[in-house]
Amino acid sequence: MRRFYLVTRDLHLYIGLFLSPFVLVFAVSVFYLVHGLSNRPAPGPSDPSRTVANVNVTPAIGNLQGRARIDALRPVIEQLGVRGEIDFVRHVADEHRLVVPVRLPDRDTVVTIDYEQRTAAVTSRRHGAGDAVVYLHKMPGPHNADVRGNSTLVRLWHLVADATVYLLLFITISGIYLWAVLRAERGVGILLLLAGAGTFWGLVYAVAA
Amino acid sequence: MPSQLEDLVAESRERGAAAAFLVWNRRLHYYLGLYLLFFTWLFVFTGLLLNHPRWQFAQFWPNRLQTTTEHQVQPPAGASDMDRARNLMRQLGIAGEVQWPAQQSGPFAFQVTRPGLVVDVKADLELGRATVQRSRLNTWGVMHVLHTFTGVRAGDVHNRRDWTLTTIWALSMDAVAAGLIVMVFSSYVMWYRLKGKRRGGIVALLLGFVSCGAFIAGVRWLT
Repeated sequence: MRRFYLVTRDLHLYIGLFLSPFVLVFAVSVFYLVHGLSNRPAPGPSDPSRTVANVNVTPAIGNLQGRARIDALRPVIEQLGVRGEIDFVRHVADEHRLVVPVRLPDRDTVVTIDYEQRTAAVTSRRHGAGDAVVYLHKMPGPHNADVRGNSTLVRLWHLVADATVYLLLFITISGIYLWAVLRAERGVGILLLLAGAGTFWGLVYAVAA
Repeated sequence: MPSQLEDLVAESRERGAAAAFLVWNRRLHYYLGLYLLFFTWLFVFTGLLLNHPRWQFAQFWPNRLQTTTEHQVQPPAGASDMDRARNLMRQLGIAGEVQWPAQQSGPFAFQVTRPGLVVDVKADLELGRATVQRSRLNTWGVMHVLHTFTGVRAGDVHNRRDWTLTTIWALSMDAVAAGLIVMVFSSYVMWYRLKGKRRGGIVALLLGFVSCGAFIAGVRWLT
């Protein structure tokens, strides 16, 4: 039993320390999200745009849909030197244009491709650390599931966000065990656990019932 | 001699203050963790659900229960659209967060949301008739919405938080976030006191900060 306690305590400590920056990212971004402080996707000043000619793109890209279109666009945006997750694609068919927002945590780039003229206009805008943590908080999220995870960053972040959840569950359960072992703290702890449960269920009932 | 005695008293007071800080730092870590446990579980678990929209067992929108009813209403009094919407909601027995469409055209229309319920109201104020479409969500839907129920959206100038319970829920989100931040920093203090665990802790902490920082900065090899 003693060994189990020591191993649990060490795992709680080391996993908690490793996880702490991720917890800080999710926690700090909550303030931005709850109070609508994130600038995205509001328009703002951007870096000067550039136009690239002779882009290696075929008109057939205009006929593609969903994931197939994203997969076809990836080499195109890479040849333009643009990195990040393709957020969505807007097809302006009568102008033979594809408008492609590409996002990194701290940068938004809009690539407008004319697949008939084989030209592309690239405009980007840098964001602050606050916007970067908000972006990570919301990724990959429930929207555009068909196309989400088309960049390595978001695919990896998806794994990291899931791992954060599972490890936090471990941290909370091991934390309960480590607290329960401390007899002197049991009384106040139980009261706080009950108070927390009461507050939680009371609030959920009030807003959802 | 008196000054030596005063120094000793001051030193023991300082030690006492430091010891009290360490005791309360540890207690704060336990107490916050226990008080926020259910909130943390909710946000952690629903975060997982939000990241896996294809999980069939947690589907809620296709399984919603939808009902549409017609109502006779009194022309609502009020100086603003929000006043008139509130008046209509009272007449129709609806409570929740009001969401305005980006553009108002045709009948007086708005949406009222709360976790588990989405109500679309369309009213012809001249004829005194209102159509109310209620979409009731299952438990997964309630949990899903609780994660994101803030009443505000960045860049949305048409809507602002307008329901008291949304404000209370949003404040509880703030409190959970603040509590987690305090717990992180209190854990640093507790860890640093364990001399035997410092080296391993530094490795774990550095690994965490470097990997997390790489995502925030969007470093090249990740993209």
